[in-house]
Amino acid sequence: MNEFSRRGFLGLAGAAGVAGLSACAGTGTAPSSGAGGGSSNTIEFWSNHPGNSKPVEQQIIKAFEAANSGLRVKLVDAGKNYEEVAQKFNASLAGGQLPDVVVVSDVTWFNFALNKQLAPLDDLLSAAKIDTSDYVDALYNDYNLDEKHYALPFSRSTPLFYYNKDLWKAAGLEDRGPKDWDEFLTWAPKLKAAAGSDTIVMELPDGSNYLDWVFQNIVWGYGGAYSKEWTPTFSDPNTVKAGAYLQDLAKKGFLKLSKDPAPDFTAGIVGCSMMSTGSLGGVTKDAKFAVGTAFLPGDGNCPTGGAGVGIPASLSDERKKNALKFIEFLTNAQNTVTFTQATGYMPVRKSAVELPEEKAFLEKNPNAKTAIDQLPKTRSQDNVRVLLPGGGARIGKALDQIVQGQDVGTVFKALDAESQQVFDSQIKSKLGA
Amino acid sequence: MQSPETVPPDEPRHGAGAPAPVGPPPRRSSGRAWEWTLAALLLLPNLVLLIVFTYRPLLDNIRLSFTDWNISSPIANPVGLANYIEWFGRDDTRVVVRNTVVFTVATVGISMALGLGLALLLDQRLRGRNLVRSVVFAPFVISGAAIGIAFQFVFDPQFGLVRDLLTRVGVTSPDFYQQSGWALFMVTVTYIWKNLGYTFVIYLAALQGRRADLDEAAEIDGASAWARFRRVLMPQLRPTTFFLSITVLLSSVQVFDIINVMTRGGPAGNGTATLVYQVYQETFVNQRAGYGATVATIMFVILLAVTVVQVRFMDKGQRS
Repeated sequence: MNEFSRRGFLGLAGAAGVAGLSACAGTGTAPSSGAGGGSSNTIEFWSNHPGNSKPVEQQIIKAFEAANSGLRVKLVDAGKNYEEVAQKFNASLAGGQLPDVVVVSDVTWFNFALNKQLAPLDDLLSAAKIDTSDYVDALYNDYNLDEKHYALPFSRSTPLFYYNKDLWKAAGLEDRGPKDWDEFLTWAPKLKAAAGSDTIVMELPDGSNYLDWVFQNIVWGYGGAYSKEWTPTFSDPNTVKAGAYLQDLAKKGFLKLSKDPAPDFTAGIVGCSMMSTGSLGGVTKDAKFAVGTAFLPGDGNCPTGGAGVGIPASLSDERKKNALKFIEFLTNAQNTVTFTQATGYMPVRKSAVELPEEKAFLEKNPNAKTAIDQLPKTRSQDNVRVLLPGGGARIGKALDQIVQGQDVGTVFKALDAESQQVFDSQIKSKLGA
Repeated sequence: MQSPETVPPDEPRHGAGAPAPVGPPPRRSSGRAWEWTLAALLLLPNLVLLIVFTYRPLLDNIRLSFTDWNISSPIANPVGLANYIEWFGRDDTRVVVRNTVVFTVATVGISMALGLGLALLLDQRLRGRNLVRSVVFAPFVISGAAIGIAFQFVFDPQFGLVRDLLTRVGVTSPDFYQQSGWALFMVTVTYIWKNLGYTFVIYLAALQGRRADLDEAAEIDGASAWARFRRVLMPQLRPTTFFLSITVLLSSVQVFDIINVMTRGGPAGNGTATLVYQVYQETFVNQRAGYGATVATIMFVILLAVTVVQVRFMDKGQRS
């Protein structure tokens, strides 16, 4: 009896344990339909508070509620990053309560739009007589699929070239960023000599932490690309050249990858890096040396990034109308200035930089002005990184392998094949559907 | 003639010589029905919860594993065995399975061995042992995400505690985040540290319930300490060891938070990715929930097989 009990108990416990474990991948495919629950007078805003923006989001919400009596906004912590917000939104699509407004990143919006889970905003914008021409064109057009827009820009960023001015001076370099990556290669030995053995010339985020985002600048600088429209072009000689350049920097000891270069740069043990404009506030505040910022090397080779805000497709018309009213308020010229000054993200309205408070802010913070001045030189990212499911992680993995010394041509050839296969199996049949 | 003493006192007495039954006839069958009803009523809530939250999702997951479901799509098309064929044919499967095996074997083996060692030590009458017991157990109740964040400072290649200690003895610290082998070592050590309190406390409870007289008898017979440990103590701890081997195995295979916080499965994409991380990666990052369900189903089959083998092995050992 004793033996049976133990065996039975353990067997059942084990079976339940492994069964529970295997039930974690997904639970159903119930299509979302109807109005998605919720009240039409309460706008539920799902955000990850990019750039620690919760206080400023609350401030804007308070102003919105004061200006729109009868409407309330409920700010929901939907995750600690864009991916977690997307996961929560996916879960709600399978039958839970939908948000009215949801933060969608440059990488996550497309899959929702392609599967008709985000509402196209064009008709709603026309009906509400909202002038979209004031949105920065490059940022507004990032959410375009089949001539329809599925989100409006909110917490948008670009990478900047950050450098340690003191090290630059010690190396005898001009106080500016490199014109292109060939020039940087001529600077690197001087920086290395001036830096000493404890300082790293350049540190970039690794492949698990958006190296694939900033590396686009190097690829474009050498005339390559991740893709042309939907055709992967990793095996293009110019893309391979950029990969070889990255590997060469690492082999010569000029480049190191890390989870997050910001703390190392701020601590003064890294000479330069490419990081988001969203890091600007923290770096400037904490660094004990003169921080310089510059355009990314090359001309017109800066990728856009960050996130926008969208509306679920299956909400009622009334809720969509209220949601758009809130989005318009959240991203109007005045509030984009409030948001950008608190976080370091880009103003998403053209007219924002003409406001007196923004002019005064930029005068006081020349590094923030670098990001604004670079904005006209930005370029939408290549499809296989931002629109292909898992594109960023796939490219990041390949770049890690290249930095670790694997053959560039072989790695990129495999990446071409893998990306093409993902496009064929997951995207091709849905385009234009 | 049957002696009245040979009849159990609670058996009804019939036949010659037995006194006539007094009162209503015994209600054995209705009593049994009531017992069954009571058992069913008591089991029902848990059974319903298991069916709704464990077995139904399990079956649903198996169904999804034969589809191409994109997690954002309301449609899932059947693809037959294509996902399974793909998993067995992919290059990264080998890496992910190897990572899972290394991580699981190391965490199960080391956390059980260290847990037993600490339990033996802290079972002694030592000053301050209650405080030390609490300190050893505490990490087990801290969330994996919090531990993952804290251990980033331990293993940071520039400012970490490990680097500092190694530098003091003239050893160059490896880059735990960029070298796959070291990254797997880092998450394994972190998880062992978190889980040690669990194996420790279970072993300690077992030690406190053991028969001390057997040990004393063996000592009087002249058995060495090692012989007493192997021949007297370990057989008594066998059920506990078996219980721990199953529960630690299952929890180790499910580790996600520490890996996600510390390495996001990297470096080089899958340097520390285990099967459960692959489920997440495929489902939520690559949007292939159908394929993610396939990996989860394969993991289920593997773990079920391992658990059955463990149960049989233990059963056989017990019989012998």
